[in-house]
Amino acid sequence: MKTYKDLPADGGSNIVGQVTEQVNRLQRRLASVNHTVAIMSGKGGVGKSSVTANLASALRLRGQSVGVVDADINGPSIAKMMGVRGEQIDYGIDGVKPAISPLGVKVMSMDLFLKDDETPVLWESQTQRDAFTWRGTMEMSALREFLSDTEWGTLDYLLIDLPPGADRLPNLVDLLPNLGGALVVTIPSGVSQLVVKKSLTMAKKLLNAPVIGVVENMAAYVCADCGKTENLFPSGHTEEMARQFDVSLLGQIPFDPRISIAADEGIAFVDQYRDTPAGQTFFGITDEIRMFFK
Amino acid sequence: MKFLCLECNTAMEFKETATPDQGSLTAIFECPDCFAEFAMHMNPWETQMLKSLNVQLGGKSEAAQPMQMVRSFLSEKNPDNLTSEAPTGSIEGGGKCPFSSAVAEAFQEPAATGPVWTPEALERLERVPSFVRSMAKSSIEEFARENGHTEITTEVMDTARGNFGM
Repeated sequence: MKTYKDLPADGGSNIVGQVTEQVNRLQRRLASVNHTVAIMSGKGGVGKSSVTANLASALRLRGQSVGVVDADINGPSIAKMMGVRGEQIDYGIDGVKPAISPLGVKVMSMDLFLKDDETPVLWESQTQRDAFTWRGTMEMSALREFLSDTEWGTLDYLLIDLPPGADRLPNLVDLLPNLGGALVVTIPSGVSQLVVKKSLTMAKKLLNAPVIGVVENMAAYVCADCGKTENLFPSGHTEEMARQFDVSLLGQIPFDPRISIAADEGIAFVDQYRDTPAGQTFFGITDEIRMFFK
Repeated sequence: MKFLCLECNTAMEFKETATPDQGSLTAIFECPDCFAEFAMHMNPWETQMLKSLNVQLGGKSEAAQPMQMVRSFLSEKNPDNLTSEAPTGSIEGGGKCPFSSAVAEAFQEPAATGPVWTPEALERLERVPSFVRSMAKSSIEEFARENGHTEITTEVMDTARGNFGM
């Protein structure tokens, strides 16, 4: 009896060929993107999306052409932070036109496809029972379409805002074997770093992915009146973690309530408050990223 | 997956998909030597997995439209976005509907075989919050089929709700 390997094809469906074509389509699309950067942490609530939105705007303000993909399919927040929520998107010549932020950053997010504020991401299915068997694949297919079917044009940087979870980077690397680099966001707490270390291990040791460096968010509180800096968490752990994994600490962003307010209003904090300690830190990280790719 | 005709020791070839039934897709394969046929029934989860990969049994004859999977299978969509037809030749010269047949159809119950909703039942369904409406509709239809109801009335909905423990 012939075995699997003896049979030349799968009977005419050519599933492998179809998947290969999806990969090729993605590569063709991203051929005009100079640098793809994954923003990740592994831990939720550390401000990844806020960091992504502000770095994208800071890069734009440095004269770079920038796109952002919101890879958090189930909890998209980038569209709101970038001020493009509710923007109508339509077909272009060879794909879907992205939403454009007031500063000119191109954005693609599941948020743009959802019916209203209350609507979660649900996929058409005969039953939602046992959806765990296929939902992850559906989400990766959606991300693949965001990357490959958006008219990014020529970009200097495409930032990919990953959802929490140490498994997210390997999934992305499956899609983008030539990922330019990963930027890891943490906060100074030991709990955050316990999780973030797993992501760093995954990135550096298992995937051998290029890690641009670590960003410490909510590093300290700067008093708006007297300018005095107070730590919000015990300090020093992020530097230690960066040393342990032999990665650069790109910057320590102080907590500033205006970052959150700007995100809610869809305006770029780094544009409105560029001379604040937090604003300056964002620009400093931006410069570190650009140095990494030089 | 590959299929072998044991009689001829020959690779079987995809022939066609059968009318989808309750989310279960059926693919028919044929031996090119002895013309023996067999049907492969996929359960709804297997069918859904195939759908999530955005691939098509029998091979795709046309390239995918932009955001085809998201637009086709997202349950509650923004009605204002991507309302027009994708331009001809978009991406790789694709045509109108790359995912036109088998898998997509598997999730659209043929009207003739599914239970019929009465206007009163549909009106009540409309009052279900939008983000769970699709799931509620599928569950009630499944309940109706399993219990031999050809029509979904408000009474059937009440019974289904009791059955679901709500």
